[in-house]
Amino acid sequence: MTAVGAGAPPGPGAAIPEVPASAWEQALRELSEAGFDCLDFLTAVDRGHCRQVIARIRRSADWQAAMVSTQVAAAAPVLASATGVFPGASWHERETAEMFGIEFEGLADSRPLLLRAQPAKPPLLRGEFLPARVARPWPGAAEPEVGADGRRAGNPSRRRQRPLGVPDEPAQGRP
Amino acid sequence: MMTPEPAHGAIGLDPQACTSCMLCVRECPTWCIELGSHTEEVSDPGARRPRTVNVLDSFAIDYGLCMYCGICIEVCPFDALAWSPDAADPTADPGGLVLGIDQLRGWFATPSDS
Amino acid sequence: MRLAGEPVIVVELTHLSLACCALEVEAALREGLMPEEPDGPPGAARDVDGHVLLVAGTVTEALVPAVRAAWERLPEPRFVMSFGACANSGGPYWDASTVRSGVDRDLPVGAYVPGCPPRPDSLAAAIRSLLGSTAQRMPA
Ligand code: SF4
Ligand code: SF4
Ligand code: SF4
Repeated sequence: MTAVGAGAPPGPGAAIPEVPASAWEQALRELSEAGFDCLDFLTAVDRGHCRQVIARIRRSADWQAAMVSTQVAAAAPVLASATGVFPGASWHERETAEMFGIEFEGLADSRPLLLRAQPAKPPLLRGEFLPARVARPWPGAAEPEVGADGRRAGNPSRRRQRPLGVPDEPAQGRP
Repeated sequence: MMTPEPAHGAIGLDPQACTSCMLCVRECPTWCIELGSHTEEVSDPGARRPRTVNVLDSFAIDYGLCMYCGICIEVCPFDALAWSPDAADPTADPGGLVLGIDQLRGWFATPSDS
Repeated sequence: MRLAGEPVIVVELTHLSLACCALEVEAALREGLMPEEPDGPPGAARDVDGHVLLVAGTVTEALVPAVRAAWERLPEPRFVMSFGACANSGGPYWDASTVRSGVDRDLPVGAYVPGCPPRPDSLAAAIRSLLGSTAQRMPA
């Protein structure tokens, strides 16, 4: 028995069935045995305290889709590789490993996929900022130059404008 | 042969209509608009105090970065930006796609009807 | 191909079709937007004016070595055309850690074509801006 729903295709916003990390490979195997033979995608979401890993699998007989998810602790993000069940998971797991810092046990191919070198921190974790956005001055920060009278245009008490996706203060994470 | 409906070639600016409100600059997803302005005091006849207005000094779009999303046109409250059927020319100069008020004003004169 | 106009330009295009911009290149080549000379006058065979590496689309970090290798294999005289915002600067992906912020970080770009995507008919103009001054005059 698995927690995975294999009925109606999961629509947007539908809860994704979740299994414990220890049962991840088994859940995928049961889906595979139920005819869900085609891995659609596998990715992760940074939930802060944990990282959620999600897989979507299709049944080639009728193209029905099923989803399944699990959680790994942020402190020890390790999960069994899905490649034993779906060899095609290798590509997705390589991406998920480099983007979310998750280690897939049993994944034979550990080469970086999208980046040529693994950065110090996985770039898609919530605490990370895109270096390009931090390095480049934001043109929106400009305010009209102070006029000849020395007064400032606009409301001086207004909060300073900041672009999205850059730290409010250096070394401070986004909420 | 013509490209069909060449409406979204470039974005033109009407410098007279622009109030330097910075909305387009701040909403542009690629940060490719740069605007410079200063304030001046204008005394209206009969008014007790002069009012402060923004005066546009410079406005440039980097067409090497622009993704033609049209967000700047959508957000402009003063209809100072509009699509032009004309497009920027290819250039050999890496900075040659940063186009300023003179070029953008010319494009505003030939807005498309979209 | 032989690009019609004055002067006629004989160009060898190596099309790196990396993303959506590549569709516009295909459109340019197929929809008659590249005015082509069917064949030159008899006996007017000549060398190409240039080999153009046409970088059309998003250059991801992972692809940089392949893009460089394509350039290294191109015979002289050779030129790089950066076609569209992605190749010019990263474009919509300017801030992505997976995308190169401009192919000119790796190759000597001779023509930057604006657009996301550029119009198909800008391809002919860009070839002319790259090679127009060096193109040999057709023998009379
Ligand atoms: S069209 Fe989009 S990318 Fe281009 S200047 Fe306007 S907001 Fe920026
Ligand atoms: S949004 Fe319109 S008025 Fe405001 S700065 Fe931009 S062009 Fe000018
Ligand atoms: S510049 Fe725009 S159209 Fe061209 S590849 Fe990039 S996203 Fe696609």
